[in-house]
Amino acid sequence: MNDPFYIGYLDKNPPTLARHTQGIVLLLAVIVIGLTALLAARQTPVEPGDFEFGVRRTFTGVILESPLPLLRSVSTNGAVTHYLLVGSGKYGLPAFARGNTGKLVRFDGSLIQKGGSVMVELNAPESFKVLGPATEVELTQKQERITDVVLTGELVDTKCYFGVMRPATGKVHRACAVRCLSGGIPPGILVRDHDGGAMAVPLTGSNNQPLKVDPEWAARIVTAKGHLILSGGLLRLEVLELSLDR
Amino acid sequence: MSESYRAIDWNRQKRLYDGILVGLLLLGLGTFIGVSLLRSPNATAETLILRGSSISGLLLLHLILCIGPLARLDSRFLPLLYNRRHLGVTLFLLALVHAALATFQFHALGDENPLVSVFTAYRRDYRVFADGVFNPAHFPFEPFGALALLIFFVMAATSHDFWLRNLGAPFWKAMHLGVYLAYGCVLAHVAFGILQSERSAVYPALLIAGFFVVSGLHLAAARKEFLLDRNSRSAERDGFVATCSIDEIADGHGKVVFVGGQRIALFRHQDRIYATSNVCRHQGGPIGEGRIVNGCITCPWHGWNYQPEDGCSPPPFKEVISTYKTRIVGNQIWVAIATNALGSRCDGSSISRS
Ligand code: FES
Repeated sequence: MNDPFYIGYLDKNPPTLARHTQGIVLLLAVIVIGLTALLAARQTPVEPGDFEFGVRRTFTGVILESPLPLLRSVSTNGAVTHYLLVGSGKYGLPAFARGNTGKLVRFDGSLIQKGGSVMVELNAPESFKVLGPATEVELTQKQERITDVVLTGELVDTKCYFGVMRPATGKVHRACAVRCLSGGIPPGILVRDHDGGAMAVPLTGSNNQPLKVDPEWAARIVTAKGHLILSGGLLRLEVLELSLDR
Repeated sequence: MSESYRAIDWNRQKRLYDGILVGLLLLGLGTFIGVSLLRSPNATAETLILRGSSISGLLLLHLILCIGPLARLDSRFLPLLYNRRHLGVTLFLLALVHAALATFQFHALGDENPLVSVFTAYRRDYRVFADGVFNPAHFPFEPFGALALLIFFVMAATSHDFWLRNLGAPFWKAMHLGVYLAYGCVLAHVAFGILQSERSAVYPALLIAGFFVVSGLHLAAARKEFLLDRNSRSAERDGFVATCSIDEIADGHGKVVFVGGQRIALFRHQDRIYATSNVCRHQGGPIGEGRIVNGCITCPWHGWNYQPEDGCSPPPFKEVISTYKTRIVGNQIWVAIATNALGSRCDGSSISRS
């Protein structure tokens, strides 16, 4: 009956009540540490990928807009790299770079990289310079049609997946992927091997055209049937048929 | 109290309360970010803040929901209740950080107004049944979060006693029950959102466990009050009802009894027994679980005072609670069913002269 009475506007809690309150605070601290550690530890590990946000490099090469916006860059030792090109934010190739297919250009941008996949965000319009028409050699694209495949996997936007967002897949990222696809960022299909390794293969349409895809299919599982093509180290799927699975 | 709306001074206990709150928050955020980085050194800062703020907010929401029933089950939890509104405001701030960052990160810098995109990015999936199949995996989760944020905002913005006074305690109290709707929205936001991305069974298991803890504590508190009410029903004679014996109430203490279908607070102060309404004019706190402090009945929740002999708050405050006539027969306290005129004097019953 003589248990202590708490009055919040007084300066002190009665001693026995204070001890109980200290016990509660300690218990809460243990619960907080335990639960936050457990919740953090059970997350799906984030895949590699890097976005050099705020860092600008200079890129030189030939622009090809279709079926994927690319910069075909030849190094001094003759190695060819195909950089996928996107704009700032959730947009594809920006207007200032369009209409230059087949021209040798130079511009500054930020590198996005995941494994062997490389992409450049064109975020410095003032740096964009057309140096002249590309030479015959520079225009020659060696394309290798590897095989015909049917791939099933999550439809992703390549910009986020190649390293801008980590993680960049699943329901929580879905709205972002919708915006990116709607803004013209090339779609990709996320495929996994049996060891858990994953890669997003950029999707293109047939007849050298970009693939038209419903942005609301983003982050859903789709099946794509088509030709797997390799050129300049960049693998892409020329889609003949695309369907929504679930 | 409410004569002026000046906040009660930032006393030592309030500072301690807020210090512990901030400390626990930092502990939770630090642990979450530290363990996440150990597991995924490559995770972006935005993701860590987004997830850290949501997990801290979710834990805080559970704590907020548990404090009420815990304090009803065991008065030693009352120190957690006194500044509970600080927890509510903090919860709103965490939810705001989470929502602002998510809206910017996932919806801004694109071809649609981000605030529109939050609700329309994949609008076709608002159909819960797609082709006759229940389709929860794709249902948009963002609107549930937005509604919860709105409720947290309204509650945080009206948490000051200024609003309690101007809106009236019953309306204010009913409005603040909105926290349960917000809890439902948060559960849906999590279930339709991250639980569709993350596959560990730990997440749904903890969410369900949290729901059982919250609802279990509410049921236990309701059961305790129901049993108290049932046990204190007894016979009526000339408009008076027998309640408990004098020995059940120590000097300076109160007791809640059940008279004529409602709870009444009995108090023993010096040689007398007084009966008043059990409902505090502030937020409806159980006055009978309070004490007599400096000659005044003191509510256990936030310490509002009432004089036992007339139910009036001491000047300059103006709150009044109902009082009831009492009688002592043998050792038994009898309480009138009818209330006295509000604010009228009623000197209670003398114990020594009974
Ligand atoms: S309910 Fe707040 S003081 Fe009584």
